Amino acid sequence: MQNRVISRKDLASFVDDLIKTKSAGEVIGIKAQGNKFNFGPLASAAELRLDYDISLLPPKKYFFPQTETVLKYEVGKTPKVEAVAAEKPLCIIGVHPFDIRGLLLFDAVYGGKEPDPNYFLKRNKAIIIGVDCLSPNPKSFAASMGTNITEEGFDLMLTDLGGDYFVTVGTNKGHNLINKAKTREAGAPDLEKRDKVRKEAEKKYQVSLKMKKEEIPALLDATWESKLFKDRSETCFSCGSCVMVCPTCVCFDVQDEMALSLKGGERYRRWDGCMLTEFASVASGENFREHKEQRFRHRMYRKGKYLVERYKYLGCVGCGRCASACLAEIASPAETYNLLKEAK
Amino acid sequence: MKPRVAFFDFTGCEGCQLEVLNFNLEIVDLIGAVDIVEFREASSDHSDDYDIAFIEGSQTTDRDVERVQKIREKAKILVALGACSCTGGVNALKNRFSMEENLKVVYGDSAKLYSTIPTRPTSAYVKVDVQIHGCPPNRNEVISLVKCLLTGKKFEQCHNPVCVECKLAENICAFERGEFCLGPITRGGCNAVCVTGGRKCWGCRALVDEPNVNSEKEILKKYGLTMDDMMLQFKLFNGALEVSK
Amino acid sequence: MVMQLTAKQSIHLPRTAELIRVEKLSDREKVFEFKFDDGKELGQKPGQFVEVSIFGVGEAPISVTSSPTHKGSFELAVRATGGVTNKLHTLDKGAKVGIRGPYGNGFPLDTLKGKDILFVAGGIGLFPLRSLINYVMDKRSDFGEVNTLFGCRSPQERLFIGQLAEWDKSKDMCFLETVDRVPDDEWKGNVGVITTLFPKISFDPKKTYAIVVGPPIMYRFVIAECLKKGLADDHIIMSLERRMKCGVGKCGHCQINGLYCCQEGPVFTYAQVKSLKEAV
Repeated sequence: MQNRVISRKDLASFVDDLIKTKSAGEVIGIKAQGNKFNFGPLASAAELRLDYDISLLPPKKYFFPQTETVLKYEVGKTPKVEAVAAEKPLCIIGVHPFDIRGLLLFDAVYGGKEPDPNYFLKRNKAIIIGVDCLSPNPKSFAASMGTNITEEGFDLMLTDLGGDYFVTVGTNKGHNLINKAKTREAGAPDLEKRDKVRKEAEKKYQVSLKMKKEEIPALLDATWESKLFKDRSETCFSCGSCVMVCPTCVCFDVQDEMALSLKGGERYRRWDGCMLTEFASVASGENFREHKEQRFRHRMYRKGKYLVERYKYLGCVGCGRCASACLAEIASPAETYNLLKEAK
Repeated sequence: MKPRVAFFDFTGCEGCQLEVLNFNLEIVDLIGAVDIVEFREASSDHSDDYDIAFIEGSQTTDRDVERVQKIREKAKILVALGACSCTGGVNALKNRFSMEENLKVVYGDSAKLYSTIPTRPTSAYVKVDVQIHGCPPNRNEVISLVKCLLTGKKFEQCHNPVCVECKLAENICAFERGEFCLGPITRGGCNAVCVTGGRKCWGCRALVDEPNVNSEKEILKKYGLTMDDMMLQFKLFNGALEVSK
Repeated sequence: MVMQLTAKQSIHLPRTAELIRVEKLSDREKVFEFKFDDGKELGQKPGQFVEVSIFGVGEAPISVTSSPTHKGSFELAVRATGGVTNKLHTLDKGAKVGIRGPYGNGFPLDTLKGKDILFVAGGIGLFPLRSLINYVMDKRSDFGEVNTLFGCRSPQERLFIGQLAEWDKSKDMCFLETVDRVPDDEWKGNVGVITTLFPKISFDPKKTYAIVVGPPIMYRFVIAECLKKGLADDHIIMSLERRMKCGVGKCGHCQINGLYCCQEGPVFTYAQVKSLKEAV
C-alpha cells in the first residue's frame, strides 16, 4: 500500500473532519491531562498531543473497560439471563507502537478457542491510528523489547518528520481513510527520513535491557530461587498500581451486583491483577501466592516467560508505565531482569 | 417479613446518616426493602425492635458504652458505620490530650459537670459484625451491604488499597502532584473519591489487610517528609489505632 | 450500543438448571443433583468442573462428582465455604441455578484404559475423584485391578457413607479407609493419616496409575509414598484446586506458573507438577 506524507495543517483538518463526520466512529485521541497524558474523546484536533510519552492508562480500556457488564438477569422461580456486550465504533488516534503490541497480545489472549465477544465486538470495529514515540518516557525500555516500532496492528501510523507527518498505511481501511485527506505520495527520501527519525528516537531510551529480550525466559528459568525477588519486593505495597496501568495485563475479576429491588441484577467483570493480595486465594481460605515475594516473582515470570511461551508475545512491551506508577520503584521488569542477570 | 433496620448515632457529625439519605432514588428502593424503625436524621419514629443496627459515631462516655452494649443485645447484626465507629475517627484526636484538659477546653468552667473517656472504636466494646469504613462511608458500599443482608450473601470488604480504584479512575498520582497520600496503605472501596476530586487520601477507611507501613515511610523520605508528618495525617482518622512509629 | 449475545458467543452465559435433589453428606457438605432446563446432558468427562451461578451472588468452580455413565442429570458435591457455596446450601429442590461448562481436561481416560488403578482421596478430594471411581466401576471390564484409599479427619467427616460401604463390600475393588483421629470409641476402623494405608495394599507399579486428590498438604506425603512404591512420575495423577473464575483461560486467577488450571488442568501428572514450582 502506498504510504503518504501529510502536513501538520492537513492532518489537523483530517482529524477535525473525522470528529465532525464521525465517519470512522467516535474519535478518541491522546490529550493532555494535567502534566500527564491520557486517551479521551477528542473535541478538536487542537487537543491532540502526538508528542506525548505515555498515557496514564493504555488504550486497552476501550476494548476491555475497567468495569464491564457481561450478564443481566432477573431472579425468581424461573431466572431470566442474557449475556450482553457493549460496542461502539471508535477511531483511536495516537497509539504508540508498544501499546499496539500490547493490543496484539490481548488479541491472542482474548482469542483462542473460546474468543471473548465482549472484547472483539469493540476491538474489531476500531480504527487504530498510531504514532511513533519520539520522546520516550524516562522509565521506558521499549527499544530493548523491540516494541518501539511495529509493522502490524495499525490502520495508519504517523511519524513526525518535523514539518510533516509520514503516514505508513497498514490496512485497506487505513488506505481508504487517508485517501480523504490532502496528502502527497511518500517517496524514497521521505521513507529514509522516517527511518532516520525512528533511529534517533531509539537512542533516547534511558533504560535498556542488558541482554537480548529473547534471553529473558532462559534467565528466569535459572533464577527461580534468587533472593532478589524477596529483597526487591520488601517495599511492595501490593497496591496493584503496576498491574492496573499495564497494557498487557489481561486479568479480571467477576462479581454480581443485585439491584436493590432484589428482582434482578448484573454480573460484571473488572480489572484485577496478580500483585493484589487476594488474587490467587480460593474459597477455602488457601492463598496460593500468599507472600508479596511470590506475587512479585509471578508477575516477573508472567511478563518474561509464561506469556511468551503461551502466545509467542513477551508479556512486557517496555512502555514504562508500571515503573512510573510504582511508588516503591520496584516495578520495572527491565530493572529486575538486569539485576537477575548481574547476580547470576 | 422485611428486616427492621435502626440507625443509632453516637459522637460524630451525623454525616454518615446524611450520606445514607443521599441515596436519591435508591433510598426509595431501600425503604421498600427494609423497615427503618429508628433514624434520627430522617424520622421521629422510635422502636426497640430491630434486626440490623447501624452504629454511627464513637462511644466517648461511659453512658455511650452502656447504650451500645444494650443495642448489641437486641440487634441480630451490628454494623459499625463510618470512620468514627470503625476506628474512632476524628474524635480520637482528643486522645492526644488528657481527658481533664479536653473537658476544660470544651466546657470551660462547667467542665466538672461532664465526663468523658478516650475514644475507641465500637469494636472495643461490642462485637461488630460488619464494618463500613469511611468519612463519610461510600453509599454504594452501604447499599451493597443492605443487599447482602437481604439476600444472605456474605458482605466482602474491599481488600485492595485505594491505589487500585485510583488507577481505574485514571487519576494522576497525588504523589506526582507533590502531595503525601495515604492511598497505598488505606483500604479501598471509596472509588478513590478524594484523589479523583483533586485531593489526596487521608486514610479515613483505615489500613488495608497487609499495609506496608515501612514502605510508606521510605516514600516519606523521598518526598522530604518526616514520620511526624505522616503520623499527623494518619492519626486524623485513625488516632485510636495503635500504629508503631 | 449494547448487543445481546447468544450462549455460543458469550464466555459468561450459563445455562439454567434445576435442582432436583439435595442430600446432606456431613455438617458442611451436601450433594446437589441438577437437570438442565433444556433437557440436554452436561456431557462431562470425569474430573472436569463446572461454574455454578447463583444469580445475585456470583459464580464458583465446582468439580462434577457424578460419572458421565449416569445419564439425565449430574451431581455436584459442595462444601459450604464461600459466598456461592453457602448460598447453594440454603437452596431446596426446585431452585434454579446457572451452569457453565464442563471445563478443564478431566482424567486421562485413554491412558487409564486397561490399567490397574490406585485411587487416593483425602477429605473432599473424594468429590472429584468419585466421578472417576464410579465411571471405572460402571465400566469395570475396561480396567484392571482397583485399589481405593480414602482418608478424612474424623468419622464425622466421612462422605458418601452408603457408597463407601458398597465399595467396601464390592469384590470389584479393594477399599481401605482411615481417619486421622477419633473422638470416641465407636469407630472400629483404621486410625492414622492416609499414608498409613499404603503398607496394607500391594500393586504392580508398572501397570498401575495412582489418581490422587486431596488437600495441598496431602499431596506431598502421598506422592512420596507412591514414588517409594515404584510408581513413575507420569503414573501419578492429581487434580489441583485453584480459583477458576472464567473457566476459559482469560481471567488469570487459576494460573499455576505458566499453566492455567482451567485449561491444562485441573488434572496434572506428577511429571508435569514436578517442574511447576507453585503446584503443590
